[in-house]
Amino acid sequence: MREILILGRGGQGAQTAGNLLAQAFFEKGQYVQTFATYGGARRGTPVMSSIRVDDRPIKVRSNIERADAMLCFDDSLLDQAFLKNADNKTLVVVNSTRPASDFAGLGDYRIVPVDGRRIARDNDMGKVINSTLLGAFVAVMGQPGIDAISDVIESNAPAKKAQNVAACREAFDKFSATAKEPSL
Amino acid sequence: MNIAANNRNLQLLSGNHAVAMGAMLSKPDVAPVYPITPQTPILEKLTELQTEGRFNAEVLTPESEHSVLAACIGASHAGSRVFTATSSQGLLLMHELLHYASGARTSIVMFNVNRTPASPWGFWPDQLDSLSQRDTGWVQLYSETPQESLDSVVQAFKIAETVNLPVMINHDAFYVSHAVEPVDVPEQSLVDQFLPPFVPPFSLDPEVGSSFGAPLAQDNWNKSRRVLDAAQAAVCDQVVEAGRDWGALTGRPYGPIEQYRCEDAEVVIVTMGSMCGTVRDAVDRMRDQGQAVGLLKVRLFRPLPVSALREALRDVPCALVLDRNYSPGTGGILHQEVKAALFGTGNTTKMHGLLAGVGGVSVSSDRIQRLVGEYRDKVPSPDAIWVD
Repeated sequence: MREILILGRGGQGAQTAGNLLAQAFFEKGQYVQTFATYGGARRGTPVMSSIRVDDRPIKVRSNIERADAMLCFDDSLLDQAFLKNADNKTLVVVNSTRPASDFAGLGDYRIVPVDGRRIARDNDMGKVINSTLLGAFVAVMGQPGIDAISDVIESNAPAKKAQNVAACREAFDKFSATAKEPSL
Repeated sequence: MNIAANNRNLQLLSGNHAVAMGAMLSKPDVAPVYPITPQTPILEKLTELQTEGRFNAEVLTPESEHSVLAACIGASHAGSRVFTATSSQGLLLMHELLHYASGARTSIVMFNVNRTPASPWGFWPDQLDSLSQRDTGWVQLYSETPQESLDSVVQAFKIAETVNLPVMINHDAFYVSHAVEPVDVPEQSLVDQFLPPFVPPFSLDPEVGSSFGAPLAQDNWNKSRRVLDAAQAAVCDQVVEAGRDWGALTGRPYGPIEQYRCEDAEVVIVTMGSMCGTVRDAVDRMRDQGQAVGLLKVRLFRPLPVSALREALRDVPCALVLDRNYSPGTGGILHQEVKAALFGTGNTTKMHGLLAGVGGVSVSSDRIQRLVGEYRDKVPSPDAIWVD
């Protein structure tokens, strides 16, 4: 079983991103379970989406304690509280303009910064970054594939379908080339 | 195993959306609902289905949950099939009318999303909201998965309309309510075959003069409780029958309890709701290591299926009851209930009552395995124990 965590702030689309990623794995024939937890039920407070993927039905219903991959929508949320769910094998993708070396102080983690705001803006997505971050995340994970995730984004996007897909694909292309260890 | 190889109508649905699909397929006439986190996606999905022309109930949105249940009672008295949904504070605001609905022998089906009751404020999976309504006369079912929640809604209408008692189905906030996973949505024709139209034994009719809920003298009030007691006594068999018939149609049978890998078990873990899934995982892992451990899932909590519980625990050396609730001053409610069911039967099971998931804290498979190791040889305490 692979376990994935997505952390964002209410309104950024972390819960939607978790659902879209789970759907992409589901379309590839995998069993999935995803759930979101939030404390404030309002914009701006942290929202965590948990995703489990397996080739067998998933029975367990508890929080993910050690993730294989993590996506963080905002580098201000990337702290020890979130990283306690990670170890040195966990892939951590974070939306940030800062270089990877800036995160070295957090510990021995595989942190991949992605400037999601720039890619989203370049693709006419304004501040909506979840399709961009999903493209980069899928590239770094090596699963479930760019076609699976972009198809799901296209069919679910309430508006700007072409721009969402373009942002996702640009981020995927950029990070599939640079990902050193694209394995989950 | 690839689920694409499965030819069922699998859709990715959250637990709450699965509930809404179950409600749609059951074709209620009236659905009064007030939104509340984390139940709101049920109401959102129902209104979306209504807009699409797929849900034809009259959806009412009164000003409070108290008024919601008042509307449910009136509609049920008029002979309508009635569905509603709530959570925590909303359920507690309904409290007065919960008693009324069962005493008046309505056949309302309610879905409650288990959430911590204030204070302090919270949105976490904890079953105290519904367990504290255990004396209101409602049938109570607890669901482990989105699939079970959908299936239980349909079965609940069959049960409610057979015994003329209201049925409350519960699932845990987030771990089930917001868990999105593959759910088989049955064909309408299959549900129609299982659930015939509601024919109430009596209903309000402007053409026929009759009185509902009039004051009674003590002897007849007493009699009303005896009649209610007889109705409660018939529930367990109806849950068995509905679960068996549903299983014959869908391949997914259900019952008042479920014994998972309990054969020759030295330790049986007893629990309800979402934690059953994590216990299954823990049981599988311990069985792989040669440990004889099983799960006893309590699906029907009211009326408590005491005969089935006594039989299931008859020769079990050790039981761990895991409670995701805390009754202040007493402990875990499931622990109390199971102890009471076994008292006086000569049962010698060493039973530990562990307050494991109170306030919605996560209880992992590893944690459950450690608890089994920690408690299996301990002298049991009759009182509940807080565990981290």
